[in-house]
Amino acid sequence: MSHLTRRDLLKSAATLGAAAALAPALPGPAGAQTTQKRELIVAQGGDLARLDPHFSTSSNDIRWSFNLFDNLTSRHPDGKLHPGLATEWKLTAPTTWTFKLRSGVKYHNGDPFTSADAKFSIERTYDPNVKTMVATALATIDKIDAPDATTLVVHTKKPDPLLPARLAFYGGQIVPKKYVESVGNDAFNAKPVGTGPVKFVSWTKDDKLVVEAHDGYWGGKPDFDRLVMRPIPETAPRIAALLKGEVDIITQLPADQGERVAGTPTTRVAGALYAGLYVMAVNSKRPPLDNPLVKQALSFAIDREAIVKELWRGRGIVPNGPIAKGDNHYDAGLGPLPYNPSKARDLLKAAGYKNEEIIIETTVAYLSNDKQMSEAIQGMWKDAGINAKVEVIEYSVRAQKNREKSFKGVFWSDPTSTLGDPDGMMWRLLGPGGPQDYWRHPRWDELGNAARFSVDEKFRAQAYKEMTTIFLEHFPWLPVIQPYEDYGLQKYVEFQPNPNQQFEIRRFNFKFKRA
Amino acid sequence: MRGVLGFLAPKLLRALIAVWLVTTVVFIVMRLSGDPVPLLLPPDAPTSEIYRVRRELGLDRPLPVQYATFLGNALRGDFGRSIHFREPAWGVVVRYLPATLELGLTAFGLALVVAVPIGMLSAIKRNSAVDQAAMGVALVGQSAPTFFLGIFFILTLSLWAGWFPTSGRGGWEHLVLPALTLGAFSMASIARLTRSAVLDVLRQDFVRTARAKGLPEAAVVMKHTLKNAALPVVTITGLQFGTLLGGAVVTETVFAWPGIGRLAIQSIYNRDYPIVQCTVFLSAVLFIVLNFAIDLLYGVLDPRIRPR
Repeated sequence: MSHLTRRDLLKSAATLGAAAALAPALPGPAGAQTTQKRELIVAQGGDLARLDPHFSTSSNDIRWSFNLFDNLTSRHPDGKLHPGLATEWKLTAPTTWTFKLRSGVKYHNGDPFTSADAKFSIERTYDPNVKTMVATALATIDKIDAPDATTLVVHTKKPDPLLPARLAFYGGQIVPKKYVESVGNDAFNAKPVGTGPVKFVSWTKDDKLVVEAHDGYWGGKPDFDRLVMRPIPETAPRIAALLKGEVDIITQLPADQGERVAGTPTTRVAGALYAGLYVMAVNSKRPPLDNPLVKQALSFAIDREAIVKELWRGRGIVPNGPIAKGDNHYDAGLGPLPYNPSKARDLLKAAGYKNEEIIIETTVAYLSNDKQMSEAIQGMWKDAGINAKVEVIEYSVRAQKNREKSFKGVFWSDPTSTLGDPDGMMWRLLGPGGPQDYWRHPRWDELGNAARFSVDEKFRAQAYKEMTTIFLEHFPWLPVIQPYEDYGLQKYVEFQPNPNQQFEIRRFNFKFKRA
Repeated sequence: MRGVLGFLAPKLLRALIAVWLVTTVVFIVMRLSGDPVPLLLPPDAPTSEIYRVRRELGLDRPLPVQYATFLGNALRGDFGRSIHFREPAWGVVVRYLPATLELGLTAFGLALVVAVPIGMLSAIKRNSAVDQAAMGVALVGQSAPTFFLGIFFILTLSLWAGWFPTSGRGGWEHLVLPALTLGAFSMASIARLTRSAVLDVLRQDFVRTARAKGLPEAAVVMKHTLKNAALPVVTITGLQFGTLLGGAVVTETVFAWPGIGRLAIQSIYNRDYPIVQCTVFLSAVLFIVLNFAIDLLYGVLDPRIRPR
């Protein structure tokens, strides 16, 4: 997903270090463990761009669109799919999914939700006239029928085992047909109406978004009357706002600041293991990176334990392959990717590596710790006899290189597992024609394609196992860490975040501790 | 009348050329690297999808054509639609302007009100403890990076002392720290310049004459020194207002202040060309108008340079 927010403008390790050194002993009241607040204030790293859920996939936007709107299916903090606006769903034919919809649900403006809204909403995502930004999210769909008000029948072009998972993520937010058609797309974006637990009140750009609890929410009214989101782009002021008690929750808490938040009597850290990995994607077309032995050596030469411990203060785990922990078909029996510099040297010798320069292209704080990890890995590679160079690029340049597939060596990527399944992660990004298509392997492609269209989970498990084996020989990605996504909270806030960045605030995962 | 026109016309022409040059440079530089479209779409969007959106935004056309369109529209006051916000760029920028003006003018006022008296005092009491303390603080104010100063103020005056909110826009108490941060550099340079300008004038013959004829010191300073020291102070003050606009980029980011500085930096990162062009245009015009105003003020302050 997009990470416009991950960057912290002008942030540098030096300034944060200086800020930490200056941090005074806090006079904060140690007794603020409960509250009578009816207003929740959340600070995130950047403002929203758009409220219309079909026009953005940026994490700053979807944090709010997943609260203003509901999806048919919903991925909860436990990582599993739960009912949303659909109460149940099943495969009624190889290419047909039938959804039973919740009845009695009302939009914020009082209009009832029916299957016509669901049909309209899903078709809107890929309607060429609407020109949404999620045109490919649900592109496996062929046509949709709404035989009655609470039944939706979705026909896919080919068998699609992951359709219910797709509907839980971006593109799947259900918008009101009648309202959108009567006011038009621009007015809808300015004043959105959904079925979610909060309803829109006002938005002052770069200042605040105000929403209030939707009393008649089918999942129960959330534990606040009003919710205010304040964008605070810089990390240090965002943390200061939390420590001073001006805000209740902050997003994007960097790992190296966690101790400070946890060490303050009134605040604490809550995290969820990221549904995805931080990897160095490899341009396997560029020699010597076209040689699998060289890539194996690169992997062996990375001391991931040290990166997790030193740069992430333990807030992450070492991956064991291309599948994130928590996803379907994650192989718990596979050990973490090993560190073995002498083996790396042997492999380099066998590969006939002639000290060719390997370029690491990194952004600064587009992903947390990207530059620091690049420099650490450059040093580790040097110790193993690999000649690496770090080049810093800006993130819009990265986006351009991503489009042109013109990276010079290895580059950072944080593949999100959008579907809780390898298909939505490695196959989506590394598959033929995908945005990181720099390496092809006939058997791997055959398996990935078969798994995508198979509704037999046993077959799929076998396919992903074999794909993992091939992956670990060729390393189209060098997985580095599966980090925690951390939030800073007041101690009187009970909140369990999603593993992706949806940030759903519902009755089951959020509450104020009252005296 | 011809005199005034002769005075104004070349300046106006130069101003127009400057605005044109600035916007052109920005137009070219912004397009040399980076691409806004992949930032709008999911990362797995196929290339066909990226090209579709590029076409929609007109980014697929040759650069000279895009430039001609931009110039033609800009002359009519149309800066295009923001790529990121999907609404007219001018409307977006204008909404951000009041916050920046509020912050900038407060910082500027604060700088003037504090710096000019301190500078004068320092000059009159040259080499005293007051002078040395004031100039010491001024040196720090002038050399500390805005970013550092902002975070330092947040940690000390807000988090530790608890006097002001950490960030955001609201009542006057929200304004203090950002205005102090933004004004620090200007305050320091204006104070230092006022001091040296006043010292300069105090050494002049007419001041010695004034003192010799027995005028009280207050009259010497107020009547003879101040007016003559004003010229360089006005110049630097005008230029400082320009630096304030530049400093707003950092200050607004640190303090989460919803102004055009923050809008500009975010739009640069997003490669939101129309917004960047619009903010740059506005800043350039503001800067030029200020310089223009200072030029006119010279004439008021110093009869010798009035057009004849």
